[in-house]
Amino acid sequence: MKPRGGTNKATHSQLRQHNQQLVLRAIYNGQANNRAALAQETGLAKPTVSELISELLDEGLLEEGGRGESTSGGGKRPRLLHFVPAARHVIGVYVDDEYVLGALAILNGRITARHHIDLNSAQGEAVIESVTDVINGLIAQLDAPLLAIGVGVSGVVNENSGVVHYAPHLGWREIDLSRILREHYDIPVYVANSTALVAMARYVYGPTDEVQSFATVRIGGSVGVGIVINGAIYHGGGEIGHLRIAEQSLVDVPPAWEGRLESFLGWRYVKQRAYAIRREYPASTLPRDGEYIRYLHIRQGVANGDPAAIAIQDELSSHLAQVFAWIIGLLRPNHISLTGPIADMGQPFLDQAIARTHDLILPDLMQSVTYSLTETNDLVAVGAIAQALHRELGLV
Amino acid sequence: MPTLGLITNNQHEVFQRTVIAGVQAVAEARGYGLIIDSYAEDEANPRPISLDYQAVDGVLVLASAAPPDLLREIYTAHIPLSLVSHQTPDLPVPAVITDNQQGVGELVKHLVVNCARKNLVFIQGLPGQRDSDERQRAFTHEVMRYNLIVPSKHILRGDFSAFIAAQSVQQLIDTGAIFDAIIASDYLMGIAAVETLREAGIAVPEDVAVVAFGDGSEAETAGLTTVAADVMEQGKRAARQLISQIEGLRIRGVTILSVRLVVRETSLIDPV
Repeated sequence: MKPRGGTNKATHSQLRQHNQQLVLRAIYNGQANNRAALAQETGLAKPTVSELISELLDEGLLEEGGRGESTSGGGKRPRLLHFVPAARHVIGVYVDDEYVLGALAILNGRITARHHIDLNSAQGEAVIESVTDVINGLIAQLDAPLLAIGVGVSGVVNENSGVVHYAPHLGWREIDLSRILREHYDIPVYVANSTALVAMARYVYGPTDEVQSFATVRIGGSVGVGIVINGAIYHGGGEIGHLRIAEQSLVDVPPAWEGRLESFLGWRYVKQRAYAIRREYPASTLPRDGEYIRYLHIRQGVANGDPAAIAIQDELSSHLAQVFAWIIGLLRPNHISLTGPIADMGQPFLDQAIARTHDLILPDLMQSVTYSLTETNDLVAVGAIAQALHRELGLV
Repeated sequence: MPTLGLITNNQHEVFQRTVIAGVQAVAEARGYGLIIDSYAEDEANPRPISLDYQAVDGVLVLASAAPPDLLREIYTAHIPLSLVSHQTPDLPVPAVITDNQQGVGELVKHLVVNCARKNLVFIQGLPGQRDSDERQRAFTHEVMRYNLIVPSKHILRGDFSAFIAAQSVQQLIDTGAIFDAIIASDYLMGIAAVETLREAGIAVPEDVAVVAFGDGSEAETAGLTTVAADVMEQGKRAARQLISQIEGLRIRGVTILSVRLVVRETSLIDPV
């Protein structure tokens, strides 16, 4: 791998940025709201703190308002400092196999606009153009300076360099997406695997009593796993669809995908398989070959006892159980959440997959794991926003 | 002064009026003039569209106010173009739309989960219009999600017209159909449905709950439960999208506005 620019030695400006983040984070998290308290909280000298605060005030990230309680020594009541979430915008982008979805957020993660474009089977360069189309659509809606752009891609991504090594459905190989976008927009860009970002989103903005170690399994066009271990996001999780789980797939696939996980759980193959199973059950009410079909058709079919739908759910849940079993066996998470389009299959499907997982692993391992379904399209973009905030301001 | 052109069928109905107010606010703040071509103020006698698009810096079109041929003409002439609540499948023209899927999802969830309704009726908008088609597709998805049975005679013609919606609801009542909730693709049709039901002696919301997409003062007066995006905001965003294009940004795809559920009397009921 090519070495990236910069060294480990902290420069003066890096140190300054670090200190600025310390101060900002302390205010953002509510640990301190005046200069004296900030000096105490961060361990920085008071003049340094004052200087940093005056910069942050100039940049609009902080504002002053009101006075606090006077200190026990009876000193002057301190002027209070407030964080200004609307001072900057952040853009988070999700590059799916079928569409690009961008979200514009202010610094507390609240989304103020979304922009969407269908890829219509676009590949390679055309996908990069769609990414910039979406970012441009959100730049049009900015009413504060843009701080950074975060991007989530369903593929193999080096999150340090921002290079997408491999995203087969987009026709991307060794795409330096971070550099391309940085040159285009002249602001920091952070690129990561989409499922890792879902885990980040759940970790940062999820329920506060969120368990310490959890995995997010995302299934749509591809299959990904995002991981948080002991409260830290583990990058390097990501696509697992290429793992070979059988000698042969159940449907016709390109030779390179024979027997791989994605040919059992990726939507384009699930669809083929659903049509094939449907053919075996003439009485089924599921859509026939080539007709419009969604996970929701299968869900409704199962609820009504449709034999073809039950057979499809049966297969899908055993494949998913295999994924759960690997995760539990290797990582021992407290919690697994299932997300992506497959979440439309609903709770009965998840329950069946959990029951199947019981058959695959040691009973002791199973007991400490809880499960949930997360049905939202926004999570990757939200995770990309969270990552940009984390990397740029050290806030989350 | 640079100028935006805006094509609309009329500027007196609440949706058009509110979008235009949003466009106007942004245009003024950014130093743009605004020329409005409102060609069907008299619905029965529409004029031809007369906006000289070559003479403005960019064009906004409200809903399906301009025919596809004209949109293509403007696009081909390289005049920046943005659509509000509309889309041209064959042209890469950006738009600002509301999140129809989310909105219909919230309406159906409200009826099924909060109001314990199962026998739903859907009043269509205008087939071929983007919002209309998306809302109907979303309804089909939600029906599957909650495993509801909706016979095809429960999908009513509405054409975004209160008059037609009222007629369709009356016909449904006359057939003796059994239903306990109506979702209308826009709120004026929803209000018409409430009136028609009550005139027929059917209690709203006790016998039939009614909810609808979009919101305005009429819905508030009628006590109609709705989901809606902020229409003024939609106008502002459309103006920003167009001005950014004029200033050189290439934009494709759609800017999507989230919606919010407002529960009012027409669905306010304790589940049985």
